[in-house]
Amino acid sequence: MSKTEEYDVLVIGGGISGEEAALNLADQGYKVLIVEKDLSVGGKMIHLSKVFPTLDCSACITTPKVSETARHPNITIYTYSEVSNIDKKSEYDFRALLTKHPRYVIEDACTGCQLCEEACPVTVQDQYQYDLVGRKAVYVPFSIANPRVAAIDIENCSLCGACEKVCPADCIDFTQEEEEIQIKVKSVVIATGFKLFDPTLIPRYGFGVFKNVVTSMQMERQLVPTRPYNNVLRPKDGKVPDNIAYVLCAGSRDETVGNPICSQVCCMYSIKQAQLLMGALPMADVTIYYLHIRSFGKGFNEFYQQSKDMGVTFIKGKIGKIEETENGDLKLRYEDIESGVVKEANHDMAVLSVGILANDGVSSMFNNKLELDQYNFVEQKDILANPAQTNMSGVYVAGTASGPMDIPDSILSAGAASAETSGYLRGGYDEK
Amino acid sequence: MGKTIDIIKTKRKVSDSVKENMKAFNKIKRQILKSLETEEKTVPQIAQEIDLPLDVVTYHLMTLQKYGNIEAGEVDDMDEFYFYKLKK
Ligand SMILES: Cc1cc2nc3c(=O)[nH]c(=O)nc-3n(C[C@H](O)[C@H](O)[C@H](O)COP(=O)(O)OP(=O)(O)OC[C@H]3O[C@@H](n4cnc5c(N)ncnc54)[C@H](O)[C@@H]3O)c2cc1C
Ligand code: SF4
Ligand code: SF4
Repeated sequence: MSKTEEYDVLVIGGGISGEEAALNLADQGYKVLIVEKDLSVGGKMIHLSKVFPTLDCSACITTPKVSETARHPNITIYTYSEVSNIDKKSEYDFRALLTKHPRYVIEDACTGCQLCEEACPVTVQDQYQYDLVGRKAVYVPFSIANPRVAAIDIENCSLCGACEKVCPADCIDFTQEEEEIQIKVKSVVIATGFKLFDPTLIPRYGFGVFKNVVTSMQMERQLVPTRPYNNVLRPKDGKVPDNIAYVLCAGSRDETVGNPICSQVCCMYSIKQAQLLMGALPMADVTIYYLHIRSFGKGFNEFYQQSKDMGVTFIKGKIGKIEETENGDLKLRYEDIESGVVKEANHDMAVLSVGILANDGVSSMFNNKLELDQYNFVEQKDILANPAQTNMSGVYVAGTASGPMDIPDSILSAGAASAETSGYLRGGYDEK
Repeated sequence: MGKTIDIIKTKRKVSDSVKENMKAFNKIKRQILKSLETEEKTVPQIAQEIDLPLDVVTYHLMTLQKYGNIEAGEVDDMDEFYFYKLKK
């Protein structure tokens, strides 16, 4: 028989939205469990460079929030874990099965010294650097990971035993197995976030084939201090780029790839990256190919104007095709929307501003009883009066699990989710 | 704690692709480190010398930089390519 643990609220997903909702509820005295499927909490934000429109350092904002969440006496976090079979028995009584995957490292004992990494002979692509460099089969996920402890990627492990030999804390444990825990909670907050559009679904952009075509997330990593390379460089040949193109709406507002909606953040994060690139590479030209610039938020239009003043070029153009020339440079064929003429332009690197899609498997955690909208985001039943309410009483949604949005809106949405959750916990359901 | 690796070895087999990938990475690692023994070089110079695609050299070289085997030096006169050298 697996053990049972009881909490007031189950928060699924430990990104900025999940953390914000959990902290609000924990501060009110509720016992909160965060279940995060990744090795670290922090979501996408922990991997970003700076954030629009203030250009504050993303890690500097996320890290204190992550530590506050991890240290809060009312919050328990299970990383590298998933929940399934969420079953509503009655109001205030949800049961679920939590599966904790083995790290093969004793979490409490690991000091994050990385001596195991030094000894490990296996190198595979580092998913936290979006495949631009390698990592070892045993690895601390990234420098500001929380928890900052190692994990073994057992699928790629050669079972050489070197890590176990060198670990000074004696915390490598290959006997670990998947652990199952029964969970009983009074309410649930879904904060499972988003996934990025896979640009190989638009073969004419050449992503994966032409190495100097990268995604915006890869460029985001190139712009952080813990970047994969020593500077912003072309993945093809390590050259310092000096003429970079951005392709907006890559996989958004595009019926042909099944995603007709706007991703809301790509215009602004591209403008942000363009400004950061001009700082990192003062000699570089940056051109943004766009359909419409959506700079609707507070301070966004000024941020857009600022990028023009800095010398970023904006072309209203629809990219038809990207081709590689012999030195790894790229030829972009586009329709100039103003003139209707098809033109060509040469660049030495292209960044695809990939869209935001709904994450998979959210409804199946609830045995498909949770309703999704037509784009597979969590359906908001009463978007004007109770924006966090799902089709199930006691189950609320926070952040990008309900649709594309930026960080400030994710935090506001998490605020709404925690307020509605505490209303429910205080008996709000019975009063309705 | 005793050696737990021996316990998992009785339950799991290492796949051929893991073995091949390990061999391939370590072969290229040796080639790059050897190429840099004589003098510092750029990615295209290393790629030409060891006859491997540029992107393969970039990926491996940057991984070696991450793990402290090599470090970046100056950029060339055209401000295009960095020179990389063995880390002493
Ligand atoms: C390239 C890029 C740049 C950006 N730049 C900016 C910017 O400058 N400014 C700005 O305001 N916004 C920016 N954004 C948007 C920002 O990333 C999002 O607004 C923010 O990350 C949303 O947070 P979230 O917690 O809702 O989702 P996420 O960050 O996606 O977090 C969700 C978490 O849930 C976990 N999870 C998912 N499924 C499960 C499951 N089944 N069980 C358990 N855990 C699960 C995930 O592992 C993850 O940790 C950018 C986005 C991109 C792609
Ligand atoms: S597993 Fe051991 S060697 Fe590896 S980081 Fe943790 S304490 Fe260090
Ligand atoms: S046992 Fe696996 S994780 Fe540990 S050093 Fe060997 S290959 Fe790396």
